Amino acid sequence: MNRVTQYYPILPVLLAYAILFIVGQTVSGTWQLVATLLFYCAMGQAFNIFLGMTGYVDFGYVAFMGMGTYGMALAITRLAHLPGLGAVVIVIGFGLALLMATLLSLAVGAVALRLRGAYFAIATIGVNEGFRFLIEGARIWNGAEGMIFTAQLVNIVGSERASRLMTYWADVMVLAIAVLAAAVTLFYMRNRVGYALTALREDEDAAKVMGINVTKYKIIAFITSACFAGLVGAASWALKTPYVFPPEVFEIHYTVEAIIIVMLGGAGTLLGPIVGGLIYGISKYYLSIFLPGLQLLVFAPIIIVIIVMFPEGVVGVLKNRTRNTALGRFII
Amino acid sequence: MLLKLDNVTKRFGGLVAVDHVSLEIERGQFVGIAGPNGSGKTTLFNCISGVYFPEEGQIVFDDIDITRMPPYKRAPLGIGRTFQIPRPFSSATVRENVAVGAMFGTMSGQISVQESLKMADHTIELVGLQAHRDKAAGSLTPVEKKMTEIARALAMKPKLLLMDEAMAGMHPNDIDEMVAFIKRIARQEKIAIVAMVEHIMRALVNMAEKVIVLHQGAKLVDAPTQEALADPRVIEVYLGHPKET
Repeated sequence: MNRVTQYYPILPVLLAYAILFIVGQTVSGTWQLVATLLFYCAMGQAFNIFLGMTGYVDFGYVAFMGMGTYGMALAITRLAHLPGLGAVVIVIGFGLALLMATLLSLAVGAVALRLRGAYFAIATIGVNEGFRFLIEGARIWNGAEGMIFTAQLVNIVGSERASRLMTYWADVMVLAIAVLAAAVTLFYMRNRVGYALTALREDEDAAKVMGINVTKYKIIAFITSACFAGLVGAASWALKTPYVFPPEVFEIHYTVEAIIIVMLGGAGTLLGPIVGGLIYGISKYYLSIFLPGLQLLVFAPIIIVIIVMFPEGVVGVLKNRTRNTALGRFII
Repeated sequence: MLLKLDNVTKRFGGLVAVDHVSLEIERGQFVGIAGPNGSGKTTLFNCISGVYFPEEGQIVFDDIDITRMPPYKRAPLGIGRTFQIPRPFSSATVRENVAVGAMFGTMSGQISVQESLKMADHTIELVGLQAHRDKAAGSLTPVEKKMTEIARALAMKPKLLLMDEAMAGMHPNDIDEMVAFIKRIARQEKIAIVAMVEHIMRALVNMAEKVIVLHQGAKLVDAPTQEALADPRVIEVYLGHPKET
């Protein structure tokens, strides 16, 4: 494995996203579905860096997406009236989204990452709910009333471009974030970070004795994952739908969806979040069309069957099957 | 002097697990730590590798006071360890397991991932696991797991290797082979080995230059192997009082 071939696994990732994009652009009426799938894949891709690579479950994960949404919303609402900034506001919005997600992840990580396994999971459940009630109760950032900033967005980029931004560019940004998250995942896998994370995921005490500063690497994974979540929130929840209400962004439902996507696809694998996101998104979409009202009743057993059949996730099983074959070089 | 313990004491509540133990280990020396169940061997190991910090006493390794140093800082100094029940990183391949040792051991920070993998290949050949190199470590047999763990520890290029009941559960023929192998490597690489032995005295007799016997947390005997094993106090600890006639 040399310097170039070790990065081959990015090719199927790019291929999958390219196909998704082309289908959405050429087959009429599919863009909304593709956009939803891209959102699920990006969310899975971001979450996988922490959940998949460290084995720690963060139930407060969606709070980072909420932070990103608020970062973008604040940039647009507070800066829209300034003349001459134009679309730069959106760049600033992404910057603010990154900053706020990073700050929250540092705060949460500094406290919760001292805990192990299940205790960490329990501690993080409170983060999301607590943050939502803090914003609502203390009336931070307009509190429970939220922010609607369609007008400001139109003000910044013009009405035609604003609608193009909401219906097309925001989704393309989500796609770009997903690809970037996958690239970072692969880069980590091929470097010390990845080896350290694998070691601590499998056996934290043995990893320590092997010379791995487990806290440092857990925090690296946590912040990276939170940053990508913030970006997904900013693009998908603030730019695509220019409003934000606390109960909508701090909704634990999304955390659960992200966990399912990562586990379905294969925790800690590179391709897993895409496969998981596609399986999850497509089945949810079509079930709600063909069995409206009953979709969850049918969906749950499907997920259970997949998890039982592929305990390591679809890609996890595929990876073990193709190990040491020509195909195996591309699937991790 | 490579490792020096001075009056090390570790308590768990009212239980004194390690009781004022002092000992010295020379570079490249092969030392056996023996003692019946609950005599404090594992706790002593955990104090040296940093899993526990002792309440009293001092641990000096290679002229550095490591008494309260976190475990991940000890490995780069040259302290390696294997566990009683092998603990390889199951989902990773044998090669990746061993590469972790190279990457975070004494060459931590000076060796690239590619070089670590190359070194892993070399170490894997040394322990004879070539056929299993690209298998997930979790899929191996117990003996192969043990060898993976030993390879991982050797790839750290340690100055001191703590082996926790390395021979437990192995076939006598395998033990002889393993003993010969470990002894050869230790001599080649000038690694001091501290091997914990609970039951298999036979391994100890073949391996160790000196034996330290612990009893109820305290050091009972610290002497060259043959002498230590013939010591009446050691026999008493293992077999009880000779019957009065």
